[in-house]
Amino acid sequence: MTHLTHTTHKEYPDTPAHTQPYVLVNNLVARYGDLTVLDDVNIRARRGEITVILGVSGCGKTTLLRHIVGLLTPVSGQVLINGQDMHRATEDEQEAILRNVGMSFQGGALFNSMNLEENVALPIVEHTQASPDAARLLARMKLSLVGLEHAAHLLPAEISGGMKKRAAVARALALDPTLLLFDELSAGLDPITARELDELVLRLKAQFNMAILIVTHELGSIQMIADRAVMLHAGKVLAAGTLDEVQAVDDPQVQAFFDRRPRQASLQRGLLDMLVLDEESYGQDTA
Amino acid sequence: MELSVSTAAQPSHTGQTNSQLVFASLDQQVLQISQIWEHADPGTRLVLNFSGVQQLSGLEAATLLRLVAEGQQKKIEVRFSRLSAEARQAFAGLEVDILSHIHTSPARLSSVEQVGDQTIALLATARRLLDMIGELSYWFGVAPWRGKGVKWDRTGEQVVKIGIEGIPIVTFLSFLIGAVLALNAASQLRQFDAAIYIANLVGVSMAREMAPLITAVIVAGRSGSAITAELGTMVVSEELDAMRTMALSPGRFLLLPRMLALLCAVPCLTVLSNLAGIFGGYWVGVMLLGLGSRNYLQQTGQALLMSDLVAGMVKSVVFALLIGLVSCYRGVYVRGGAEGVGTNTTASVVVSIVLCILADAIFTTIFFYFD
Repeated sequence: MTHLTHTTHKEYPDTPAHTQPYVLVNNLVARYGDLTVLDDVNIRARRGEITVILGVSGCGKTTLLRHIVGLLTPVSGQVLINGQDMHRATEDEQEAILRNVGMSFQGGALFNSMNLEENVALPIVEHTQASPDAARLLARMKLSLVGLEHAAHLLPAEISGGMKKRAAVARALALDPTLLLFDELSAGLDPITARELDELVLRLKAQFNMAILIVTHELGSIQMIADRAVMLHAGKVLAAGTLDEVQAVDDPQVQAFFDRRPRQASLQRGLLDMLVLDEESYGQDTA
Repeated sequence: MELSVSTAAQPSHTGQTNSQLVFASLDQQVLQISQIWEHADPGTRLVLNFSGVQQLSGLEAATLLRLVAEGQQKKIEVRFSRLSAEARQAFAGLEVDILSHIHTSPARLSSVEQVGDQTIALLATARRLLDMIGELSYWFGVAPWRGKGVKWDRTGEQVVKIGIEGIPIVTFLSFLIGAVLALNAASQLRQFDAAIYIANLVGVSMAREMAPLITAVIVAGRSGSAITAELGTMVVSEELDAMRTMALSPGRFLLLPRMLALLCAVPCLTVLSNLAGIFGGYWVGVMLLGLGSRNYLQQTGQALLMSDLVAGMVKSVVFALLIGLVSCYRGVYVRGGAEGVGTNTTASVVVSIVLCILADAIFTTIFFYFD
């Protein structure tokens, strides 16, 4: 069994230059106050591949995504998108980078005062020379891509959670980005909608040769879409590689994740191992 | 050095009362242990013997973990011995990491430290506020020269919300205030047969003082709160983050249009408030007190100077700035979900009104000495 931590360029030794990683996260360290959330994290994502970031809740997955798109500034380390350092770029450079990035947030983060069509049309209107009519048409096309053309006139408050997520995907696709990031894409959705979203992601990868980074802990979804996987635990990369490689990693955390094993069993022992001097427990009769 | 402490508690978890008594007993022992290790050297190991304990409640387990964590801070190793299988269940599901998350009660800050804390918080607020002012200045003064113009369409929408939709309430209240001023003045001035000077009093009071202040209070309560609540809700639902990932600056798209709309709407509403207030005084003077219509208007015209109108307008611009900065700042820096939105919205209105009245007092003092 292999234990792949701290992946490097050697991960792709024979890769042609044009398929070198589109996203490179190097030695990223992030903190909230005194709490270290990401500790020396290294990640790569290539175009035409779906990279899934796995891990239990609170392990730093969303924080990692927020650093990749520049919403948070790391303590140290760098995020390179298409070779450009996200956190050292000028405002104009950062804007140019972000025009090629689409992100779908966990709760959708749609603009509540706008209907779905206006939500999707907003980045088109602001970043292109498209006329309002053309922008609206393009927005309708993006909405039909996720099966929401019939709901274009509805406000976010008037649609279901699954529809919100699909609308958020449509908005993320508005500018035909090269990099797509999804935070908990199928979490909390019914199996059919989740499956539809997974199929949509696979279709996007095939059609548009995008680099796709998905934060999830839905095992079914991971098995279906992941080309590569990165397992985070307590802010560190525990394993990275193809899904098969990660699944084969001989680490109790990784195995517990894929086996859906509750963590109490192993961790409880860990705490008591530390606290209790004599291993054997004493029953009532010994009192 | 190794200390060994045996637990004396003999728990009998047959009822709530017993359980609490047991905890009280354990708590007492914990207190004794704390006294013991005040004199213990770092590196000491303290072994707690649980041979007499059959079960531990969650509260007892928490107390013990707190003891372990305190021991770690003092470099004293606390370990358990002869812990029954049932007692171990009290620690089910806990990670070793939990020890690093247990915080002992912070020592009470001295008054000097409290002042220091408050000062640091105040400086942090000032820095964030300056950041926001810098960002707004950039989007208004620099960015348009780089092809990123002001979003006039969004500004227009806000002018409608803040200005046009605020006309009825501002007009109505200003009319009433003008009428009330006139009635109050009448009871005094009629004694001296000087009722016509009601026109002076109402005109000058409205222009210099009441119109800007009434308008500011109404706008702070009506629009300032709406701005804070709207922005705060957007923060909570990650809409602002979504904007940033689309390379759309919230400063340009949300804050600047609201600031500009306030700067445009508040002076306009102040003019309207002036007119409505003077009309309120006119209505009382002419309809109730029998002053001549022409006389009243003539008297008002003679009493009002350009400096009165300018003073009122200057105040209204400053009030608009204050309301805009406070409401935008409070909205953008909402923390803590729905409760945070509510708290910040209330604070936005209160702080805006307080600042406006404070600024008004300063202006009035300055105008008094330099008139």
